[in-house]
Amino acid sequence: MQLTLKNILPTYFEQGRKQNSGIWGKDLHFSNGDLIKIVAPSGTGKTSLIHFLYRMRIDFEGSIFYDNKSLKHFSNEEIANLRRNQLSVVLQDMRLFGEQTLFQNLEIKRQLNPFHPPEKIAEMAERLGIATRLNAPAKNCSYGEQQRAVIIRALLQPFDFLLMDEPFSHLDEANARKAMELIMEEVQLRRAGVIFAELERVDFFPATQFIHL
Amino acid sequence: MSLSYKPIQPLLQTSGKSSSRWFSYIGLGVGVLLLLCSVQMFVNIQKLLKEGSIRKDGHDYVSITKIITNETMGQPEKNLFHEPDIEDVKKQPFIEGVSPLISNDFRVKLSAGNMLPFSTDMFLESLDNAFIDTIPPNFQWQPGQQEIPLILSSDFLEIYNVFAPGQGLPQVSKETAMGIPVQITCYGRAFEENQFSGRIVAFSDRVNSVLVPKSFLLWANEQFGNKTTLQASRLFLKLKDANDPQLIQYLDAKGYKINRDKTLLGRNKIILQAIFSGLGVFGILVVILALMLFSFYLQLVIARSKESLQLLLTLGYSPRWLSKNVSGKFIPVYVFIVLAALGCTQIIQWAFHRFVMFGRPELSSFVHWLVLLIAVSLIALSATVNYRMVKGLLNKLY
Repeated sequence: MQLTLKNILPTYFEQGRKQNSGIWGKDLHFSNGDLIKIVAPSGTGKTSLIHFLYRMRIDFEGSIFYDNKSLKHFSNEEIANLRRNQLSVVLQDMRLFGEQTLFQNLEIKRQLNPFHPPEKIAEMAERLGIATRLNAPAKNCSYGEQQRAVIIRALLQPFDFLLMDEPFSHLDEANARKAMELIMEEVQLRRAGVIFAELERVDFFPATQFIHL
Repeated sequence: MSLSYKPIQPLLQTSGKSSSRWFSYIGLGVGVLLLLCSVQMFVNIQKLLKEGSIRKDGHDYVSITKIITNETMGQPEKNLFHEPDIEDVKKQPFIEGVSPLISNDFRVKLSAGNMLPFSTDMFLESLDNAFIDTIPPNFQWQPGQQEIPLILSSDFLEIYNVFAPGQGLPQVSKETAMGIPVQITCYGRAFEENQFSGRIVAFSDRVNSVLVPKSFLLWANEQFGNKTTLQASRLFLKLKDANDPQLIQYLDAKGYKINRDKTLLGRNKIILQAIFSGLGVFGILVVILALMLFSFYLQLVIARSKESLQLLLTLGYSPRWLSKNVSGKFIPVYVFIVLAALGCTQIIQWAFHRFVMFGRPELSSFVHWLVLLIAVSLIALSATVNYRMVKGLLNKLY
């Protein structure tokens, strides 16, 4: 899948932001296999960018194209299709169903478009060290545990691009490395691209391209 | 997509105490019951009063005569309607049409030939066809035709059947009467006899007379009668409403008398239909109110589950699939309510047929197919309304 950004800028940013940014106001083109690392200090619009790409917000100027179709022209049903089949996301604020267990949360996502069998949930949880927490309600889990569940959730569906917004903010480096290892295995399995937005450089991400926001 | 709704269901906060949901269920039940019963009763009235209807094309048909007083007795010119009288009646805005009842201007004798030893002096009248309630296609006459078709008042047959046993005559049914050939003898100016054969082709509930085709009577009056101008003892009126006060005032002023009893049946039917139409409309209103109340409940469910639904959409759940499943959850309840109302309607219809109408053959103990159709349509309507509303609300969550 082709992802094209054309001269985008949040409507709530001043035009001057375009000058020093590698993304705002620029024309960029990404495709499967690209591993994009976006380094962005706080307040530069990292979360906004991920939300625009996942069409959770549309308050930006310029255009985002998936396979030459402008995201602004996608119907709600087409957006659902895109999120189910081609685009996966790890959001910074996690967003789990608090009353449901981690396993239920993961199964709700997995059944939508199963890329893996249900057993894979336990296997991935085991690798990331949250296997024993699978039956705990999400609201009773620590941020670190929730964040690992969210990473697993993003890997249960097929995708061409994986969008990640500070996916390791609540993990120590050892756990972050394990998670990255799993992510890269799954990305390679799908020959997908990654857009990974983080505050600083993470040296264990094999980026093909660095962009400063 | 073999997607299961089961893991999604707990995310919707449908439990909780919700009086609006229960009120809407009760309202829907009552409204549907009212609607179905009204439709069924409407159908019953149609079936019961089909035969006796005096109204045709939504009009009342009445006949008027001049009031015969002691002063006018024996003065036919004062008791008959003349051309200027008829023209004046025609001019009145509340009268849609007028047809004079033309009567024979010669002596007529009617006998039942050899089959029944019965003979009587008779009168013949004719009326424009549009004013007769039952016109069979063979109610026609051309000069030279020996057989004259007759339309007889149903009342006359009834009167005959009342006095026949006392006279040693057999009682006859409508069908038999229509099969009996009758001899009609018309006496000319020189009292010569002219024989015709007559046959009853229909019975009229509206016109109290023996009707022959107008073409015959015009011809016969010219051949056998003496007068040259048109005179009629009765006028038939086509009215929008026989109870119009303007009409009553006009008739009183002119000294005309209206033959009202024949309009009563038609009028009762209208009143009954109006009552049940009113009840039906009320039923529809209650159904609409109940659906609205339920839509408030659904909006509440969606508002309370907004975060979960938003997250499901974020995860890639299709708004169409979610709407179908969220609204579909209530379909069994709707089906149950409508079926319960249908069941009650069926019991009411059975009881009405059995205990009120004593099994009259025109009616059925089972509900009419129209009632079933309405029940099915109501289920479809409520399901569609709910689906569209949920989908609309979900699309707002993007």
